[in-house]
Amino acid sequence: MSTHDLNHEALAAEALARIGAANNAEALHAAEREFLGKSGVVASLLAQIPSLPPADRGAAGKAANQIKGRLQAAIDERAAWLETQAIESDRQGLGFDPTLPPPRIDMGGLHPITQVTRELEDLFASMGYHILDGPEVERDYYNFEALNIPADHPARDSQDTFYCKGDHPLVLRTHTSPVQVRAMERLKPPFRAVAPGKVFRQESTDASHEHTFHQMEGLVVAKDVSVGHLIGAMKTLLAGIFGKQVEVRLRPGYFPFVEPGFELDARCPFCQTGCSVCKRSTWIELLPCGLVHPAVLRAGGIDPEEWSGFAFGLGLSRLVMLRYGIDDVRHLLSGDLRFLEQF
Amino acid sequence: MHISYNWLARHVDLEGITPQALAENLTLSTAEVEGLFPFAPHLADVVVGHVLERVPHPDADKLGVCRVDVGQGEPLQIVCGAPNVAGGQKVAVATIGTCLPGDFKIKKSKIRGVESEGMICSERELDLGDSHDGIWVLPAEAPIGMPVAQAVGAGDWIIDIDNKSLTHRPDLWGHRGMAREVAAIFERELKPLASDLPPLGAGAPFPVRVDDAACSRYLGLAIDGARQEASPLWLRFLLLAVGQRPLDLLVDLSNFVMLDLGQPNHAFDRSRISQRGIVVRRAHEGERMTTLDGVERALVPQDLLITDGDRPVALAGIMGGADSKVEGDTSQLLLEVATFAPGVIRRTSARLGLRSDSSARFEKHLDPVLPMIAAGHFANLLRAIQPQVEFPLQLTDAGTWTDPARRLSVRPARIRSRLGVELSDAAIVSILSRLGLTPKLQGDQIEIQIPSSRATKDLALEEDVVEEVGRIHRYGNIPTQALVGDLTPPPADPRRRLVRKIQDRLAGAARFRETIQYSFLTDSVLDAMGLAGERCVEVQNPVAEGQGKLRRSLLPNLLEAALKNRQRHGQVALFEVGKGYLPEAANAQGEPMEIHTTAAVLAWPAKASQGTALEHLHAVARDLLLHLGHDLAPAEALGDGHGYPAWLHPKKRIALRSKAGGQVLGFVAQPDPAVQQKLGFDGDVASDLAVLELSIDRLLEEPTAGYRYRALPKFPEVKVDVAILAPDSLPGSEVMTLIEAAGKGIVVDIELFDQFRGEALGADRRSLAFHVKLGSEGRTLTDKDNQKFLDRLARTLEAAGAELRRS
Repeated sequence: MSTHDLNHEALAAEALARIGAANNAEALHAAEREFLGKSGVVASLLAQIPSLPPADRGAAGKAANQIKGRLQAAIDERAAWLETQAIESDRQGLGFDPTLPPPRIDMGGLHPITQVTRELEDLFASMGYHILDGPEVERDYYNFEALNIPADHPARDSQDTFYCKGDHPLVLRTHTSPVQVRAMERLKPPFRAVAPGKVFRQESTDASHEHTFHQMEGLVVAKDVSVGHLIGAMKTLLAGIFGKQVEVRLRPGYFPFVEPGFELDARCPFCQTGCSVCKRSTWIELLPCGLVHPAVLRAGGIDPEEWSGFAFGLGLSRLVMLRYGIDDVRHLLSGDLRFLEQF
Repeated sequence: MHISYNWLARHVDLEGITPQALAENLTLSTAEVEGLFPFAPHLADVVVGHVLERVPHPDADKLGVCRVDVGQGEPLQIVCGAPNVAGGQKVAVATIGTCLPGDFKIKKSKIRGVESEGMICSERELDLGDSHDGIWVLPAEAPIGMPVAQAVGAGDWIIDIDNKSLTHRPDLWGHRGMAREVAAIFERELKPLASDLPPLGAGAPFPVRVDDAACSRYLGLAIDGARQEASPLWLRFLLLAVGQRPLDLLVDLSNFVMLDLGQPNHAFDRSRISQRGIVVRRAHEGERMTTLDGVERALVPQDLLITDGDRPVALAGIMGGADSKVEGDTSQLLLEVATFAPGVIRRTSARLGLRSDSSARFEKHLDPVLPMIAAGHFANLLRAIQPQVEFPLQLTDAGTWTDPARRLSVRPARIRSRLGVELSDAAIVSILSRLGLTPKLQGDQIEIQIPSSRATKDLALEEDVVEEVGRIHRYGNIPTQALVGDLTPPPADPRRRLVRKIQDRLAGAARFRETIQYSFLTDSVLDAMGLAGERCVEVQNPVAEGQGKLRRSLLPNLLEAALKNRQRHGQVALFEVGKGYLPEAANAQGEPMEIHTTAAVLAWPAKASQGTALEHLHAVARDLLLHLGHDLAPAEALGDGHGYPAWLHPKKRIALRSKAGGQVLGFVAQPDPAVQQKLGFDGDVASDLAVLELSIDRLLEEPTAGYRYRALPKFPEVKVDVAILAPDSLPGSEVMTLIEAAGKGIVVDIELFDQFRGEALGADRRSLAFHVKLGSEGRTLTDKDNQKFLDRLARTLEAAGAELRRS
């Protein structure tokens, strides 16, 4: 073995050692550049060849290329190893704590009243109900007179009314019921309709009273509609709302625009033996309803001898409160993000 | 209204019916029971004691030391300060451990050195009256050691009935009416009522002239020789049970008859009324009177008065006058039992804000037959307690009343069809009979007789009778039926669909929070926004001063909400879909135009690094409109012609205009800086603020381009970044038009990615940098196309006074 060969061997050993010691891609790159790069060690070996005696040139070239090949293979091997290492090390999940919460990003969302209203609209639409709107600034006629509540009727007391200034007898509607006669004027029987919306009562507010809230009126006019139909429709409605069959009971309730009139109670869906929601009675007073009073049918241009109907008024705000266990009705229209962000 | 179980039992046999069963059945058949509670439960814990002796306290003049036998073990030693306690009395004793009203627990104690093993109670301490005269002396026959409740017959249950459910039932505003229901429900007999008048003297009837038809009947019964004294225990307990404080016999009896039969009545001191008699008339303009409660009331001509000719002695059906009230030993009385027009009573009572037990009953429309029964009832009760009373005059019976009782024919088939239940004719007849409607089946009809007590208000139509049958049969016994019928699906509702899309996009992709706001505006916000003079729908009776106006736009309330939320949140992104009310666009009936809009507000700290709120909200708005299918015209300033709100920033406002219809659909803008400050976006909550408003009504009118798929490029596209130095006089939209024109046919997309100004650029110039995407549907673009585009752009920009900055 010549000194030349010995030099080459030393060079190769040093290079292989460096490659083997490269612990990351950069170090490996640096080694690659140093040994195999344009002005690297192997390149300078090759560059020396022309200056060698012609007889030695073949062997020297061969030796240099052999070194180049060995080094290239070592680099490739090392690179593959480093990649495997990197994957392995990533798999260690160093510093990752799966128990930490993600950053807070408010993803936006719909108001709970909107959510519940939509569910009900979809439920009713699927049963052939029209979804109607009515004015919020309403004529006294539709809000009271047409509903069989003439001036001086004591029922006006229980509906503390906002009266509008001006020459016309206008009120902020105290319920969604004015849509009943408006619907009768527009639609030909038989028909089914619901009307969700905002209603207003002039009363002082507390955790369970609010001057602005939401209701959904329902009205069905057809031939020979009976109390039995009303009960059936209400059961379907409640099954839709609570996602299960709910036992209901009707008891007498007085509303001038229905006869007979009822309060519908639902068996408390939250307990078996009485809880704070049902005030320990196991029944929740859920909605007033009844058969449409003949005077109301007539006000809507419908002959009560030929047609009959039922109507109900669902408290949307109350339903939302029930569903989510909201203890203060004033949160609903507060615009408070601490409340809204929960839905 | 409170109903006493014991009181009901005076009218109907309640044997075997627990208070709980009674409450449950009344709820299901008659009226809502809101509560059931025992009367004075502490009376069950207090026992009858026998005072064996009373000796003076060794160390206190006013105290006595009593030995009291309570029927258990040694007599108790009790220190008592009452002056009226004496040996031999039966008294109510609260022994050690008993709890009295007010959470007052009796403990063993030493009073001035003498041990006391309980308390001898006064009526007041037992919550039975206001009398502070001393201890309550029980009847001598009360058995020692027995609970006081039992000894004096005070064990009772109170049924609390929701007044609202009695609005249409004047007959249920007294115990007898309620007992009639109980009798019908449980199929029992109503006990007879002694209501025949006792023998009357021969004196001429007390003169009463009814000048107004609003008093349908006026009965006057003269009573002489009644003594003022405390009522018997049974009467006091019944009154206490339903929440009435016993006063003296005459007042108590008057209340008792009202609560028993539902018929208000009033006793005048006959000697204080002019002997010319009573005149029932309307008030004169400017007339005044002082009512029993000591308040002087200004009257108006619609008020109905009981007068003695000149002077008002009572506000008819509402409250007596202070001048003629029964005081001291009034020996000459006139008992008024009358009926009045409900509307008249209601209007006066509402106007004066004066509601009484009496007015609450009259406004339900009382039966004019009832006064005679009530007068007889009162007279008989009084005579039973004070046999010496006399009725010296013939009865006065004035007024133009008629008996409202009438016949009605109903069809059993109709009743079955409305209820949806198979009930035999006989079953229907049985129910109607129990309700006292004396039904007679005749062919396919049932003839019923509506008694006067039910005829003034709720029983008039066949439907009313459907209710009677249904509630006694019980609605729970009606089988569920499914609605059937040939129904066409309801037509599509474009607005509802549009609203849902808006809500979903804003609450979803844009990550805004939906809120629902009050329709009322606050004057302070309107002031801050310079909107105080704006015409709004207004209510006469707002919940609070300065909250009477209804919104025209959703934005004032949204800004207020944003401000409140900014105190707790860095970023506030809220939107609402709702109505504005425009009074100037009212229809013939005066209904204001209700406009449908959506509005949003975005607020974050003033020096945030994420770009401006206005830019962000503008992006949200454009995305929303594109999502709704509207191809948008290039952004433009919201000009003076667009009717924008005056509180917007004079420059920072952008119109949103659709390409197809050309309407301005809404705007995004920044509020004027001074308005922001006035609203309170200041200090810690100083905000970068932007608002959005879109008209849903206009969106519905506007033709939509609809979603159209654009084919994916078949040939590679090239992205070219161009930086353009443009004078402020050249709007960005025009710069973009120039870019589009320079690459006509090959410009696929232009996106602004940077803009800046700097001294080096000159004062009125800015640099705008765009990513421009070039592509062709037919071939791969070459460097040449690219170069041609840039050269052409450089030329057109130069012509427009701008400059393409080459890198």
